Amino acid sequence: MKFLNRLRKFPFLAWLWFLLGALYFVLPLLATFEFSLSWDPAVPFKAYQRAFEDVRFWRSFIASNVFAVITIIACIILVVPTAYWIRLRLPQARRIVEFITLMPFVVPAIILVFGLIRVYSTPFTIPFTNIVFMQALTQFKAGTNILIVAGYMVLAMPYMYRSVDTGMRTVDILTLTEAAQSLGASWFVIITRVILPNIRSALLSGALLTFAIVVGEVILASFLGVNAFGPYLFLLGQHRAYEPAALSFVSFLLTWIAMGMIQLVTGGQNQTAGGH
Amino acid sequence: MSYLSISNVTKQFGDTVVVDNFNLEIGKGEFVSFLGPSGCGKTTTLRMVAGFENPTSGKILLDGADITDKAPNQRNVGMIFQSYALFPNMTVAQNIGFGLKVRKEADAVVKQRVSEMISLINLEAHANKYPYQLSGGQQQRVSLARALAIRPQVLLLDEPLSALDAKIRVSLRSEIRSIQKSLGITAIFVTHDQEEALSISDRIVVMNAGEMEQVGTPFEIYNFPKTRFVANFVGSLNTADAEVVDTAKGLVSVDGVQFTSAEGTKGRNKGDKVKVAIRPERFSFATQQHKDNVVDAIIENITFLGSVVRIQIKIGNTSFNMDTFNNPFLELPKIGSKQQVTCSKEAVLVLDE
Ligand SMILES: Nc1ncnc2c1ncn2[C@@H]1O[C@H](COP(=O)(O)OP(=O)(O)OP(=O)(O)O)[C@@H](O)[C@H]1O
Ligand SMILES: [Mg+2]
Repeated sequence: MKFLNRLRKFPFLAWLWFLLGALYFVLPLLATFEFSLSWDPAVPFKAYQRAFEDVRFWRSFIASNVFAVITIIACIILVVPTAYWIRLRLPQARRIVEFITLMPFVVPAIILVFGLIRVYSTPFTIPFTNIVFMQALTQFKAGTNILIVAGYMVLAMPYMYRSVDTGMRTVDILTLTEAAQSLGASWFVIITRVILPNIRSALLSGALLTFAIVVGEVILASFLGVNAFGPYLFLLGQHRAYEPAALSFVSFLLTWIAMGMIQLVTGGQNQTAGGH
Repeated sequence: MSYLSISNVTKQFGDTVVVDNFNLEIGKGEFVSFLGPSGCGKTTTLRMVAGFENPTSGKILLDGADITDKAPNQRNVGMIFQSYALFPNMTVAQNIGFGLKVRKEADAVVKQRVSEMISLINLEAHANKYPYQLSGGQQQRVSLARALAIRPQVLLLDEPLSALDAKIRVSLRSEIRSIQKSLGITAIFVTHDQEEALSISDRIVVMNAGEMEQVGTPFEIYNFPKTRFVANFVGSLNTADAEVVDTAKGLVSVDGVQFTSAEGTKGRNKGDKVKVAIRPERFSFATQQHKDNVVDAIIENITFLGSVVRIQIKIGNTSFNMDTFNNPFLELPKIGSKQQVTCSKEAVLVLDE
């Protein structure tokens, strides 16, 4: 009897959908993993060995990670004060900004990169003269790096803005700001000691999404001629069979580890956000 | 000498005047309540004192200094919010110490003051808990301690008890009052609950639609309301249409039944249409000793309200409420029976229509 009762309460349908969804994500991953092991049955991790031996892998992977970190920092510096100010003082601008953050979804990356190249491939002159005060950004390495980070920021902005904005909605940012102000806090103190700590989980998820976008990005990097991980993986995929599978699997694992870490770090935070 | 002076303060949002020519002098250590219905401008006035809104015109002086245009973080004013507004990422002790840390007080001073404050609000056992681990009442006490820790010149409380349940509300309001008295701190308390305002204030400002209706002690506000709005809003009140009968004797008539009013009908003429207002608790059943305002009434209905019994009576064609204290030996008249009821001359207020 008891067993039957429990059986009746068991949410079969929910679990069925969950299993189907899980299969949808896990099967391709398993297939990739299986394939990456099948190069040489005698040396099961041969594909991984080969991939990690390649200097170009390390160079591009590290470069992409550095780009990701810089993009995340720049994005946070740009997005947090913006989202904060809009919630605080310009709620009527919310719609406009939300529309702007949708642009990267509408405008393909290829258009973005051609636009960047067109605008920044000519030197900057002081208006109405021929005096050049800056070389064209596409002409030197640091310039290209600036361009690519700027491009990544555009691509990452929707994710960053939306997670930060949602994070600010869950804590009552307006009242907390006023409470801090009446206690004598300056804007800097309010942002660093009150706002940022309370949107930590939102920042982390925004940062993770940004990271995933930057490390996997192909179009911007190849057209700007930057040796990033995306183009490397793409090239590798055209010439090799097993190493790309191994590397894809590794990047998947990395992402999952990062997600697990966010769950760990923010697990205690979710409760504090509610207030009561 | 007033300590906080709000003079001729007006606040407009766009074209709507939300606070209209507000004038108030508050003495040091005084506890003043702003009382009024929703949307009458209480919060806006309080926020102008805190610095979160700028007056459209007028001046605010605190201890002689003009603070009208000072930023909120330069004012040394403590603020308590209805939603507690504790920092979720900080413990009770860190919340209370926040204002002192911001002021760059020495660690020893912060520690000392925080522990003083924690014992003031009796939360010693909870110093290292986070806000979400506390009940609403405890959170609001932390918020009180946090505001008091910086030794503010004025404490502003915006409906601090509204989110709490009835029992806690009553106990916390007397706790707030006793802490305020013992520290001698000047306080403004915003509420739309008249009982709250009456029970804890030195003075009450009754507001209506952006204007001050009356300023006075709870006793004055309750017993001598100056306007019909105040009479109606504070306490419950019977009002009835009436006509002036005799200006010399202060006689008015309600549906032909005559009442004498102690304050008289000065400045009015015989035959003027007025309103009479009588509080329910001022009515009682008449005995032989009663001479003034003894009138016939029909008992229409009887309702138990706990400590009070509310009896609905009909005088002439008008219904009135009459309150008497409940006790087990109370002999209540039958519904539909005819009784003589009375009220003193002082209880009859004559108001403009
Ligand atoms: N920032 C604002 N912009 C426009 N109108 C506002 C603004 N803040 C308040 N008001 C208006 O001012 C009026 C008074 O608001 P206020 O918050 O002072 O009322 P209140 O007396 O505190 O009411 P409640 O008891 O509901 O809190 C309201 O009609 C409100 O709509
Ligand atoms: Mg209000």
